[in-house]
Amino acid sequence: MKMKRIVSTLLAGVMAMSLVACTGSSAPADTGAAEQPAAEQPAAEPAAEPAAEPAAVENTDSSEPISLTMWCIATESDSNRHSYEAAIADMQAKYPDINFTWEAFENQSYKTKIKAAVSANEMPDIFFTWSCAFLGDFVEAGKVYCLDDAYENYKSELPEVMLGNSTYDGKHYGVPLTMNIVGLFANMDLLKQVGYDEIPGTYEDFIACCDKLKAAGIIPFGCAGKETWCVTEYLESVIEKSAGADTLNDIFLGKSTWNNQDVADAVDTFQSLVTNGYFDPSGIGLTNDEVKNNFMAGKYAFYMNGTWNCADFAANEEFKTKVKVGEFPVINADKSKLGQLIGGPSDTLAVAASSPNAERAADYAFELGKYICHYGYLDGCGLPAWTPYGDTSSVNELTQTVAQIVAGADSMVLFGDTAMSADSANTYLSYVDQVYGCLLDGTQFIEGLAKDIQ
Amino acid sequence: MKTNKTDFKKGITIFLFLLPGLALFVSILIAPIAVSLYRSMYDWNGFSEGTFIGFNNYIELFTNGSIKFITALKNSMWLAFFSVFVQLPFSLFLALLLGRKPKKERAFLSIFFMPVLISTVVIGQLWLKIYNPDYGLLNRFLDAVRLGSLKHVWVGDVKTALGSIIVPTIWQYIGYHMLLMYAGVKGVSTDLREAAMLDGATPWQVDRYVVIPIIKPIIRVSVIFAVTGSLKAYDFVRILTEGGPFQSTEVPSTLLENMLFLRNRYGMGSTISVMLIFLCFAFALLITAAFRERDV
Amino acid sequence: MIMENSKALTVKETNPAVKVLMYIFLVFWAVVNLFPIYFMFTFSLKSNEEIFGQNIIGLPREWLFKNYVSAMNTGNMGLYFVNSLIVTISAIAISMMAAMMATYAITRISWKLNKLTNAFFMLGLTIPIQASIVPVYVVLSKLHWLNKYSTLIVPYSAFALSMSILICTGFMVEIPSALDEAARIDGCGLAGTFFKIILPLMKPAVSTVGVYSYLQCWNEFMFANVFISDSVHRTLPVGIKALSGQYTTEWGPIGAALCIATFPTLIFYLFLSGKIQESFIAGAVKG
Repeated sequence: MKMKRIVSTLLAGVMAMSLVACTGSSAPADTGAAEQPAAEQPAAEPAAEPAAEPAAVENTDSSEPISLTMWCIATESDSNRHSYEAAIADMQAKYPDINFTWEAFENQSYKTKIKAAVSANEMPDIFFTWSCAFLGDFVEAGKVYCLDDAYENYKSELPEVMLGNSTYDGKHYGVPLTMNIVGLFANMDLLKQVGYDEIPGTYEDFIACCDKLKAAGIIPFGCAGKETWCVTEYLESVIEKSAGADTLNDIFLGKSTWNNQDVADAVDTFQSLVTNGYFDPSGIGLTNDEVKNNFMAGKYAFYMNGTWNCADFAANEEFKTKVKVGEFPVINADKSKLGQLIGGPSDTLAVAASSPNAERAADYAFELGKYICHYGYLDGCGLPAWTPYGDTSSVNELTQTVAQIVAGADSMVLFGDTAMSADSANTYLSYVDQVYGCLLDGTQFIEGLAKDIQ
Repeated sequence: MKTNKTDFKKGITIFLFLLPGLALFVSILIAPIAVSLYRSMYDWNGFSEGTFIGFNNYIELFTNGSIKFITALKNSMWLAFFSVFVQLPFSLFLALLLGRKPKKERAFLSIFFMPVLISTVVIGQLWLKIYNPDYGLLNRFLDAVRLGSLKHVWVGDVKTALGSIIVPTIWQYIGYHMLLMYAGVKGVSTDLREAAMLDGATPWQVDRYVVIPIIKPIIRVSVIFAVTGSLKAYDFVRILTEGGPFQSTEVPSTLLENMLFLRNRYGMGSTISVMLIFLCFAFALLITAAFRERDV
Repeated sequence: MIMENSKALTVKETNPAVKVLMYIFLVFWAVVNLFPIYFMFTFSLKSNEEIFGQNIIGLPREWLFKNYVSAMNTGNMGLYFVNSLIVTISAIAISMMAAMMATYAITRISWKLNKLTNAFFMLGLTIPIQASIVPVYVVLSKLHWLNKYSTLIVPYSAFALSMSILICTGFMVEIPSALDEAARIDGCGLAGTFFKIILPLMKPAVSTVGVYSYLQCWNEFMFANVFISDSVHRTLPVGIKALSGQYTTEWGPIGAALCIATFPTLIFYLFLSGKIQESFIAGAVKG
């Protein structure tokens, strides 16, 4: 199962609201702590001492040669590889006195690796992490260097709202890179066959479109049941557009319980999409790679997934002329509205508290993050968490469309599985799995979750 | 009559001979078990301070249905069952067949062992292509022979998912056991065979009454491997079903990894590994005992 | 009379129908077992479109040899291959020597605790590798013993040990104890008997133990992933895994890397299987 990239709560453009998200982010971690009293221990690890030291030397003052290492997941075939390489080349030219080395690991095995490294205090100076709960556990254990001081130098280029997901107890611990949201990708060739030139804007129209597609023998949706995070891309959008962003956000952050009738109804709505035969019945046995290839091969009309797919779709000469991206329509206009999205910045760089040069590593991480974000945006790997600079007209059309959607965003809700503590998230995923398989209905879903996630 | 001195010398020799093995074994394998035992008593996420909770993890493992430990055990047992009663007889059959020196014996031996050498990633991808609901070979075949009604989303259907894992697992390791048994079959002296043949035994009788009893220790080893291997099964589950659908194909190792590295429940992960070690060891003893009884 | 009888038997044995059936079966099974190799090879020359749906088992429509170029250049498979080779061979050698010695002490010297010691070693067969990662990692990191070849060689030897002892035991009990006694009468000590008499007779076990230990080490992923953090010492399984991206994976180069990892092994195995056979014949002890 791939970890979803987008994992955050942020209310786009509204600074004050980001503080809600900040305190919010630590809430689910606290819930985890109830089950794991271990985590209640204050972050008083000796390893954390560099964090306590006052900032004595600015990185520009000190040109004493040092070595910094970084671990990340930008492997050779990762779509972010190029942006990392370009950014690191820039950084090495700019800071020749810093001997910077980096290693890339495969996504899934990296999680094992970084967790083992944190256990053994063997972390590199700078490491890639996902925001919210994933980083939060390390922060609570006192293994992550606080970036508040370093951030002062980058305030003008990096809006504080973007730090919401890596802020714990009011302190910043992560440098965000790119961000993504869930997009509704549509194969316009197939939509044209049933008489649509645009992605339907209202839910009624959307359902009518699905019915026509079905009647024409075209499968409306492809969704990989073998990787439950793919199901949440659909389910969470349906819940958000039925029950409203605030409701979903509060539940994910543990501020209100799962026992919410609107959610139950939304889950039933989602399930009716499944039982109406809008989803490919084979999907339950497929991986995301297979589903994505099916979509690109013209098997499905719609594919809801992260906007990181834009780069891949745009890179395929034949397919890029067919595909469009849009927003899932509003189901209940009383509770939700357009512009309520699922997503936010998740890819993050953090600095190890155990690093002997944590202070300079922090500055380095910020600047490196800025470049990675810049090149990543140009490559269409995602939207920039940092304020874009330079000429961005070369960004592919799909990513530009997504940028417009985000610019008009009302609010964003993080993905459930990454917002919640690791244990709760897995419980949540197994419930989602059962909803997709029609083993549970909406009422059983909310009751079960309310019972199993305290 | 031995003197104390020779006893002492013997003791030193034994010690020296065991030393390299024991040093490796204790430091890399036994010490971590001890750590796991200790950690299984804690509620610990792997990096913070843990809390001592006694046997609560063990109790939760069996009482909390959402952990699916019982399901995982049941799945392993099915796998073990098919390994012992389908895979091993087939391996033995191949080993005996090759033991009769057919032409190209060596080529056959090499080819039959090849699947074992190929990475599970490749074999897994191959079986995914076989099981694929749309273009998979299995469903296409069923269509071709007019049995379309038997078509399934093989790895996505609770009824067929476990079977879809068992078949490739058993198939890939047939060669593994075959080679072990073949080594035994070849160890049977030709004199013995010839003597039996002279007494008028058919080749099958020779295999049944001469060869099989001699290679019994090797068969026992194979049975132990098959059972402990089933309890530790991991690769195909990860590649073919990811423990799904609805966690119906989880096995102890996938649960263990989820707990350790996905759910950040290191204490519970340690509990599962302790249970796994205990079960494997118990089975190994049981099998050994069963074989000894038959000997008597 | 006896001669005639045996001739009659030989005739009975070569019943042509049974023979033909047997060969048909053997050939059929050989094809089933060769198919994955064909699949892997064609897989390595295809694009994602062909792999996912368009052409899953046919020959590639476009032969993408560039998959190999990208596996070798960007994926660095050459280096990882050498690393895997160093680690695997060293681990096999160490575990085999340790196993032979331990087996000798357990099976051919009579003392009180040999059964128990054997059972103790068999415990190793039961230990899931995931369980020992973090404890071993913590110890290795305290000893500043990470990112070296030996970081992997030592755990691999340990994990291969139980299996090796098990196989060696099977072979060693077959050696008649009269040989030991004869050696003892000739004035060999316990150690001398091992090196002069037993070890040479264990040749047939060498190839078998080697193959099985190889299987454990060559494809090992968990330890290699966690213990090695610099790409200079990275081994093949980790290198191959690193070819998949977070969201997009080009499967062709992965197939190419898998071929690079597998084919030399297959060739070596074909060579070795000859040795295994010869050793079976040479080592077959006439009882």
